[in-house]
Amino acid sequence: MPRGVCGRLASALRGTRAQPPAVAQRCVHLSVSRPSPDQSERTRKPPRAFDPALLEFLVCPLSKKPLRYEASTNELINEELGIAYPIIDGIPHMIPQAARMTRQNKQQEEMKQQ
Amino acid sequence: MAAPSSWGLWSFCCRGWSRVLPGCRLPGLRSSWPRGPLGARPLSQEKRATETHFGFETVSEEEKGGKVYQVFESVAKKYDMMNDMMSLGIHRIWKDLLLWKMRPFPGTQLLDVAGGTGDIAFRFLNYVQAQHQRKEKRQLRAQQNLSWEEIAKKYQNEEDSLGGSHVMVCDINKEMLKIGKQKARAQGYKAGLAWVLGDAEELPFDDDKFDVYTIAFGIRNVTHIDRALQEAHRVLKPGGRFLCLEFSQVNNPLVSRLYDVYSFQVIPVLGEVIAGDWKSYQYLVESIRQFPSQEEFKEMIEDAGFQKVTYENLTSGIVAIHSGFKL
Repeated sequence: MPRGVCGRLASALRGTRAQPPAVAQRCVHLSVSRPSPDQSERTRKPPRAFDPALLEFLVCPLSKKPLRYEASTNELINEELGIAYPIIDGIPHMIPQAARMTRQNKQQEEMKQQ
Repeated sequence: MAAPSSWGLWSFCCRGWSRVLPGCRLPGLRSSWPRGPLGARPLSQEKRATETHFGFETVSEEEKGGKVYQVFESVAKKYDMMNDMMSLGIHRIWKDLLLWKMRPFPGTQLLDVAGGTGDIAFRFLNYVQAQHQRKEKRQLRAQQNLSWEEIAKKYQNEEDSLGGSHVMVCDINKEMLKIGKQKARAQGYKAGLAWVLGDAEELPFDDDKFDVYTIAFGIRNVTHIDRALQEAHRVLKPGGRFLCLEFSQVNNPLVSRLYDVYSFQVIPVLGEVIAGDWKSYQYLVESIRQFPSQEEFKEMIEDAGFQKVTYENLTSGIVAIHSGFKL
C-alpha cells in the first residue's frame, strides 16, 4: 500500500516536472552549458597560466617602467634595464633578488658560440 | 658568544618574566656585534645608523629582512590556525571591522599588502559580491515587467558578479602566498583576485592605481616603515584611502598587565606546543612591543603625505586601525 502511494506521488511529481516553464528550461540549459566551457578551458590552459590583464598594473619595482610578458620563458621583462622577473606557479616574483639579467645571458651565449 | 648574548637578552627583557624557561636561548638571533651587560654596546657612530630592532634583539637592517622572511616561512602552514588560537578567534572580528570601516563599493580596486594568506582579500570579495547582489535585486524589483528573455539575460550576466572590483594581494613571502592561493582555490574564489610577490618598500605597481591600500598585521615587520608608507601614497589614486590594521599600545593599565602576561608567557608556549616554533612567536610578541604608539604612527602616516589621518582603537588598544587619505 505505501509503495503504491509513493508510486502515485512520484508520478504526480514527474507529471508537474514534465511541463516546466520555458525560462526554467533555458536557465537549466544555460547553467548546464556554462560549466563545460569552464572545464574545457581549464584542461586547455596550463595550470600556471599568467593573466596578461595584470600587465596593466605591474611595473618594474626598480625603475617603475612597464614590462613585457614573454610567454616562452614565462617571464616579465624590463627591456631598459635588461632584467627578467620569473613567474612561478602563476605568481610573478617582482623582487630584484629573484630577477635575472637578460643581457648577461646573451653575453654568455655569445661566449659559448665562440 | 652564546652565553653573553643570552645574558644580554635576559637583562634587556626584565619585564617580569617570572616563569619563562631560563634555558630559552635564541640561537638564531645572534646580533652581529658583542654585547655588554644591560645592553650597552661598544659601537661606532656609523654602525648605529644601520641597525634596527628584530623583536627585542638588535640587528642590522640587511639582516632584518632575511630574519623576518624566515619567521614567516616557518609559520606559514599553521598561520591561520595559530591566529585563531592566539587571539581566541578575535582576529576575525578585527578584520571584519576593517572591512566595515572600508565600506568598498563594486568597482573598487584594492591592494592588500602583506596579505599573504588572503584574509582581507576574501572578506573584500565577499563584501563586494554581497553589495552587487543587493544592487541587482533592487534593480530587478524596480523593473516589474520584464520579459522572459530579459530575465534569462540577467542570469547569463552572472559572470561579473563583482561589478568590476579587483583585489591584488602582494606579499614578500612565497610560502604565505602559496597558502593563500590554496585557500582561494579551496574556497572557490576565482575572479577578481591576483597574487604578486613584491616588497612593500618597492611596490611593483604604477602610480595612481588603487582605490584602497590595506596592510593588516604586516607593517611592523617592514624594515623601513616610512618607505612603505611613501610607496602606499604613490600607488593610491587621488582620493584613495590608506588603511592599516596593526597591534598597538594598550591604554588601560589593567588590560595592559594581563596582555603582557598573556603575550610573553602563553603565546610562545602555544607556538612551541602547536607549531613547534618558539622563536617565531617570541619575535611576534616582541615586535608588537617595538611598534610605535598610535600617535607616533599617525605622525608617520602624515609625514608620508596622507591627510585626515585618524585612528580607532579596538579591544582597548590591543589593535588599532589607522586611516588616511591621499588628497
